Amino acid sequence: MVSGTTPTREDYYRALAQVLPEDALVVTSLGNASYLWAVIQDRAENFYVEDAMGLALPLAIGLAVAQPDRQVIVVQGDGGMLMHMGSLVTAGAVAPPNLTILLIDNGVHGASGGQALTSTSLDYTALSKAAGLEATSIDQPGIFAAELQTAIDSAQASLLTLKTAPDLDVVVPPEPFDPVLIKRRFESAIGVERYVHGTFAT
Amino acid sequence: MNTKSTRTEHRPLKVLETLQTLGFSVAVSVPDSWLGEILVRIDSAPDMRLIRATHEEEALAIACGARLGGARTVLLIQNAGLLSMGAGLVSLAQRYQFPVLILASYRGAEDDPVFYHIPKGRVTEPVLNGLGLAYSRIDANRPIGPQVAAAAAFAEEGNCPYVLLMSKEDIQW
Repeated sequence: MVSGTTPTREDYYRALAQVLPEDALVVTSLGNASYLWAVIQDRAENFYVEDAMGLALPLAIGLAVAQPDRQVIVVQGDGGMLMHMGSLVTAGAVAPPNLTILLIDNGVHGASGGQALTSTSLDYTALSKAAGLEATSIDQPGIFAAELQTAIDSAQASLLTLKTAPDLDVVVPPEPFDPVLIKRRFESAIGVERYVHGTFAT
Repeated sequence: MNTKSTRTEHRPLKVLETLQTLGFSVAVSVPDSWLGEILVRIDSAPDMRLIRATHEEEALAIACGARLGGARTVLLIQNAGLLSMGAGLVSLAQRYQFPVLILASYRGAEDDPVFYHIPKGRVTEPVLNGLGLAYSRIDANRPIGPQVAAAAAFAEEGNCPYVLLMSKEDIQW
């Protein structure tokens, strides 16, 4: 990254790939949040939320509650966060200590072409603190690794606001997402017991 | 018709007991006045975790996440929430095939003639049909536990969300 420029999503993702705990569960929101992560670090422990805007964070809250011994890291865009701002309050109330939220703060609806958001004066970090989360704002990937480790080690649910330049060109994932395969692959990787159809139950 | 059992059973208690027997460990809710007490009971149940959400679509996503993590999960909402969570039902719960059981108080149906609930009651089933969502209305003449169990089994067997529409006597403690 050239000093003085706004970092990109890829800058943060490259840093995340370097320090991601092996057993961490990663939930990514729609558009490039999922597509780029699939390019950089496709793994069975990723759950890609394609479409379903605003629902990556609440899904991650439920996942963190059900898997308290695994770190859950969710990448949520600012547009999706605005759509379901209540989920930030829920995250603070439920307070899963194994939940870390990476908020991509790029000021636009990236997946739909870059329409401006209405949040230009909104301080997500302050808002998150008010909701009961541990929160920090980051504007350079160089400090991301240390801040992520602090968030993971924290006994509170945490949020990192990542100041990011918009990335409007749609990234092509390695292969088209198959939602059911993504889910089955994820469940198998974390050892979720498969339901046995009644016909085959003993 | 088994009228004896339905007249003597405490139907909300049977709902809760059935959920516990089936191993539902997570409940996600946005409250309705009919749901108030059963949510208190769930919250104090040692084998269940109640998560209070701010919006029904958010609650649905939390439920999908908990189910993804291996927890059998039930959603308790008012039917207004079925109207407001349509995109999440289609794009998340149905597209990713999450077997989530949804217990919805059926406000504004013919047995709940409250003027501001009636518009919701009028459109609830047409909307569920439009979404292609599997659902049924609790039969007041049959024991409620087996109906909850069948709905939960349907969700798992069909890999889909399943909605049970519930009258006041079914769910208000």
